[in-house]
Amino acid sequence: MALTTANSPSVRASQGTGASAKRRRPRRGPQREGLAGYIFLSPWLIGLMGITAIPMLLSLYLSFTNYDVLSPLGEAEWVGLANYKRMFTSDPSYWRSVTVTVSFALIAVPLKLAAALGVALLLNKAWRGVGLFRGLFYLPSLIGGSVALAIVWVNMFNREGAFNGFLAIFGIEGKPWVNDPSWALETLMVLAIWQFGAPMVIFLAGLKQVPTELYEAASVDGAGRFRQFMSVTLPMLSPVIFFNLVLETINGFQGFTAAFVLSDGTGGPVDSTLMYTLNLYLKGWREYEMGYASAMAWVFLLAIGIITAVFFSTGRFWVHYSDGDDR
Amino acid sequence: MRLTIGVVTALAVLLGGAACSDDTDPAASGDGKVELNVYWWGGDKRAEVTEQALKLYTQRNPNVTFKTHWQGNQGYYDNLATQAAGPDAPDLFQIDDNYLTEYAERNVTLDLNPYVDSGALDLSKLPDSLAKYGQVGGRTMGVAGAENTPAMVYNKTLVQKLGVAEPKVGMSYAELVTWARDITNRTDGEVAGTMDPSADYKALWLWLRAQGKELYNGPELGFTADDLTAWYDIWQNARATGSAPPLSVIKEANGGDVTKQAVATGKAATSFMWSNQLPELQRATKDQLALVAYPGNPKGQWARASMYWSVFRGSRHAEVAVDVIDFLVNDTDAGKILGTERGLSPNTEVRKVLSQSLTDATTRATIEFENSITPKFGPAPAPPPKGHVKVRALLVAAAESVQQGKATPRQAAEDLIRQANAALATT
Repeated sequence: MALTTANSPSVRASQGTGASAKRRRPRRGPQREGLAGYIFLSPWLIGLMGITAIPMLLSLYLSFTNYDVLSPLGEAEWVGLANYKRMFTSDPSYWRSVTVTVSFALIAVPLKLAAALGVALLLNKAWRGVGLFRGLFYLPSLIGGSVALAIVWVNMFNREGAFNGFLAIFGIEGKPWVNDPSWALETLMVLAIWQFGAPMVIFLAGLKQVPTELYEAASVDGAGRFRQFMSVTLPMLSPVIFFNLVLETINGFQGFTAAFVLSDGTGGPVDSTLMYTLNLYLKGWREYEMGYASAMAWVFLLAIGIITAVFFSTGRFWVHYSDGDDR
Repeated sequence: MRLTIGVVTALAVLLGGAACSDDTDPAASGDGKVELNVYWWGGDKRAEVTEQALKLYTQRNPNVTFKTHWQGNQGYYDNLATQAAGPDAPDLFQIDDNYLTEYAERNVTLDLNPYVDSGALDLSKLPDSLAKYGQVGGRTMGVAGAENTPAMVYNKTLVQKLGVAEPKVGMSYAELVTWARDITNRTDGEVAGTMDPSADYKALWLWLRAQGKELYNGPELGFTADDLTAWYDIWQNARATGSAPPLSVIKEANGGDVTKQAVATGKAATSFMWSNQLPELQRATKDQLALVAYPGNPKGQWARASMYWSVFRGSRHAEVAVDVIDFLVNDTDAGKILGTERGLSPNTEVRKVLSQSLTDATTRATIEFENSITPKFGPAPAPPPKGHVKVRALLVAAAESVQQGKATPRQAAEDLIRQANAALATT
């Protein structure tokens, strides 16, 4: 993505050069404008190159080596596809982390979107003080990825945490949720779902775009609330749902901070929170297998790319773009 | 298109140039002044005494100043690895035996043998096994900053209140489990008699050594699936009879915060710790805690470095760094400042001086424990090999799968042997 955007101005620039040659080189030609453009772009370009593109390409190279972080880069040996082979054939922790990540995304993402849509529908009314509620519901996403929030979460769901205190009111004895292998990942899912603010705001914006005359027409035709929701709101909202789905799926797959904090950087208990990115981090920085970790990162990138492509290819069956048809 | 390539190339050159240009080192100015980077993990107390000791060194050697960095235990090695990859590791840093071989064999640490030979670094006052435990393949890769011993901490108040005998040095694990069941029963299951250390590599190691076996033989595993099955069986049985707590309590205790250990929170009557952690645990509970050796023959124990000082191979001031180590280890005044914060002073003479001036009861209990068990030590093994960090993580996962009931002791042991062998072979 980033690379194509970097390329497109240059294509225009080179076309410009050809045009200027025909016009007998005016002094302030498009070429100079192009140069000025690049100078203005340079803060971003340098960032892209230095912080993203070059390290990314380097990691592609490293994924074919046995680079171990501690030894100098020059001493890393070329191992061909060995890292990739090991991932698919002889590393149980790899598949464990794939399972954890996929089950996290499969459960947390739909529930998060449902929560976001539900609350957005409630907040799409002209109540007094609805703005305040919008702000409050959005708040958790603002601090979403933070370590501080993860620490708060861990303390809420450990044995003496607030959640168990709440359960105790009803005489239910809780458990140390974050330390129980069958509940730790669920705790993370709840944390992710709770941060539904960002997709909620997007849903709200989408709801405002739905023309009111459609609802009026529907109610004239005798459609009830539910029917209106199914036949008007959902189809009209489908581009926004699609957008949120793609974005949140990618986010869900990349979950790291909360899992790292909750498991004390181990992915435990019993690997129950060993998210893919956490496993990658452990391989690279704890076990000194940066070559292998780089290979994991590239497979991850490919996998997310494929999933996104699948979404896009199914999109035309259920995403309804109204613009152009009826205007 | 051509222009893009040009821009990219120019940027790459520019960035490359920028990366190379900070090679000039402000510390290496011509007037003989040296600034040494020192890095360790620990708490406030450790920072306070270490900085004080380093200040004393500066007083005596005004040309040498220090830039210190410290942080908590968590994430320390992530940070150290990042700096070493730089390669911009601190001149002098703290490291423990879990990582010593890893760093030594990847040539991050400097071989200190030449300095020992030249007399610049005096290790003659260290117990022999302690000095040897800093060697990797015959090269001195670290100097023990302090000596420490694994110790079982138990709740003395509770044990006396229940009228149970106190655990003794040399009791077997079978005896411990029976003893623990008694406590569980007498407290109606409120308190588990003993913490379950089956995931703790050092408990496993000492258990193996008490039977004349080892955790590692050189770069390979020193035990078999049968050994490990027997070890898991002990704890399977302990959990089944209520002597040891369930997995969630175990995980809670091992979360990384020492004060959350089961013996401090009252969830169990024992915790498997290091002797120098007693003061910290004691502060977390009103009950009186006491130390005893891990079960099994104490000859399985050895004079173990709680942590080492190592010098970065790329340090420009290696001689100065070595001299600082010599000062921290051998100087009596430095020893007095450092006290027992990292464990017992590695230098036996400093130890003697120190033990006369101690006032704090808990610290004295630690020293008394160390002194009483030291004569029973066996010979030191080699520090764990490269790949140990992985094996350690695998051991935790294997033990947890048994604790959770996902695998039988036999299955978990056989899986572990296979995975650990693979892990050791790939490093």
